[in-house]
Amino acid sequence: MSKVKDPFVRIVKRDKIHPLLKVLFYCIAILAALTVGGVLLIAIGVNPLVLYKDMFTIGMLGSRFAYKSVEGLITIFVPLLITSLALSLSFKMRFWNIGGEGQFIIGALAAATVALKFGESMSSFSLLLLMFLSAMLAAGIFGGFVALLNVRFKTNETLMTLMLNYIALYLLRFFGETQAPWNFYLSDESVRPVFQKFAETAYMPTISIGKFSLNISFLFAVAICVGVYFYLKKTKHGYEISVVGDSANTAKYAGMNVKKIIVRTMFFSAALIGLAGGFYVSGAKVLSTSVTNNVGWTGIIVAWLSKLNTFAIFGVSLLISIMQYGAQAASTQFPIIDSNFADLLQGIILFFVLAADFFIRFKLVFRKSAKKQGGKAA
Amino acid sequence: MNQLEVLTLFLFNIVVYNIPLLYGTVGEIIIEKSGSLNLGVEGIMAVGAIFGYLIGCSVNSLTVGILASFLCAGLFGVVFAVLTVTMQANQNVTGLTMTTFGVGLFFFIGKGLSGSWPVMTAYSNINDGFKNALEIPLLSKIPILGKAFFSHNILVYLGVVIAVAVWIYLNKTKTGLRLRAIGENPAAADSLGINIALYKYIHIIVGSGIMGIGGYYMGLNLGGSFEGSNCWINGYGWIAVALVIFANWSTAKAILGTLVFGFFNTLQIYSGSLAYAFPKSLGFLSNVPPQLYQALPFIITALVLIFASVNKKKKMAQPAALGLNYYREER
Repeated sequence: MSKVKDPFVRIVKRDKIHPLLKVLFYCIAILAALTVGGVLLIAIGVNPLVLYKDMFTIGMLGSRFAYKSVEGLITIFVPLLITSLALSLSFKMRFWNIGGEGQFIIGALAAATVALKFGESMSSFSLLLLMFLSAMLAAGIFGGFVALLNVRFKTNETLMTLMLNYIALYLLRFFGETQAPWNFYLSDESVRPVFQKFAETAYMPTISIGKFSLNISFLFAVAICVGVYFYLKKTKHGYEISVVGDSANTAKYAGMNVKKIIVRTMFFSAALIGLAGGFYVSGAKVLSTSVTNNVGWTGIIVAWLSKLNTFAIFGVSLLISIMQYGAQAASTQFPIIDSNFADLLQGIILFFVLAADFFIRFKLVFRKSAKKQGGKAA
Repeated sequence: MNQLEVLTLFLFNIVVYNIPLLYGTVGEIIIEKSGSLNLGVEGIMAVGAIFGYLIGCSVNSLTVGILASFLCAGLFGVVFAVLTVTMQANQNVTGLTMTTFGVGLFFFIGKGLSGSWPVMTAYSNINDGFKNALEIPLLSKIPILGKAFFSHNILVYLGVVIAVAVWIYLNKTKTGLRLRAIGENPAAADSLGINIALYKYIHIIVGSGIMGIGGYYMGLNLGGSFEGSNCWINGYGWIAVALVIFANWSTAKAILGTLVFGFFNTLQIYSGSLAYAFPKSLGFLSNVPPQLYQALPFIITALVLIFASVNKKKKMAQPAALGLNYYREER
């Protein structure tokens, strides 16, 4: 496409783009993705219109409000939202924290440790507080350690956080699969290794609105969303993050302590993900080896689809949660479909959005305008 | 089983069950040497696996299966190349999406076909072609080692041959040198007149294709049976990403690294029978938690990453421009 001599088409950065055109590009991308997904569905004999309708209404038909469905949706949505928000903090700094899975696990493990150790002996309020603080601290240190290595020795953070994901996962599995007298994570009653259920004091409180019971982690998640927005837009820390993200050198010349900013932000990022893990186990009332439900990976996709915009993250993580929950809900009607279809569709959407990004950032300049004698070629 | 048999079987299985790692690693090294960090290994292997298997079965030919896994995975690699090389998309995000999409597609096709899924034993050429060991003359007669290392299916040898060939290509040929130049300093390579985009495209496609063969191999190892909940690749793509670092971006060292990581993978399953066969010397193995064996490749790689960055004297062979997109007008 781009030969050295006489290029037929050249890729040139756009100076600016009309916001409406930008929205149009993204709409085209999503429509194209849904079309490709639809073609795949037709190929396996599923009517895409029916499936999409089932998926995006999470099985709620007409105006009937399905309490259980919305409650289920919220349990998927809250961890994804908080994780994506947290990842956006480090991505803004161009620090590639792909260790969301591991940080989530460490947070969940820390919260579960507190819940199982002190569940009987503390009041609910102080127990929950201690669970969430230890989740944040443990995950924050787990992630901050990578940032420390990065600023001190230039250790590659992408690969390092990737390795830690699996180390954390197998640590969790070790606690979940090893039956031994010391292992308080497991239930005494079961013959097979099963995680011990928490005492009631460790349950995330819910607010009953009629038949609907709202898990208050949802309210915290919304508060975190607003908090992250103000942190990034209105505080000195937020300003420092954006300067480091634009250029670490600029930040250095401006007299900022870049190393400190990176370590601090990464600590916050990981701590928030750990908090999401703590919220999740407290809501689920028990630990599980598949506790993350891939939020560490999906969060990266969400953060990127949202262009790291805080409120876009809210919308996109809601959309992705609807797709995931909806795909499960639709599986009652279409046995072939399961949550893997949601993954597939997410992948397709992101491919098209990445392509749309290209047309937003760049424009194609054909030979005519690139070369003087190109008049004939056009 | 007597002690010798247990030991032989253990060594044999290290090779048989872990050579797919070598394919994934060699493919990733080729791509990383061109300066692209592709985190989609898991997904690319899954795509190669399922298409290789289905197409191979449809014509009942192992060779066609291998070629199909190579071509389909390579074709999937084009997506990564278009997005990151031409369209300048972020490599981490694109790679992770490749994994999400590839594994999703694996399950989607598998479930879609559920009733008419081909059973491997019904395809004699594939079944026998894969199961029959090709014994290397003389070498395969060595006690223990002969059976363990020189009496394997065709895909084991192919993997080793590819790894050696790629090592020669990268280190001893002019094109290989140019490729490494692109990975180290694309702007300098560009000023020498090297067509960066073309090099990156070709190596991303070929590297992905090689990963695809590894995926196909994993599927055959599992008897080609599709289970709704487990992907054939089962995290090997991620171990391959780690192995690239452990092997210090050398495909020759990757052969050795495959055996080391494979040793842990296999211990996880065989520690019990080894402890039983050698109660005095290896009895302790049955007390080691299996999760430790699973975590060890990642722990070792994390330590390698840390020590290599702390010890500046011993430089790693990580391409300097790894993970960075090259946009000519920004150099």
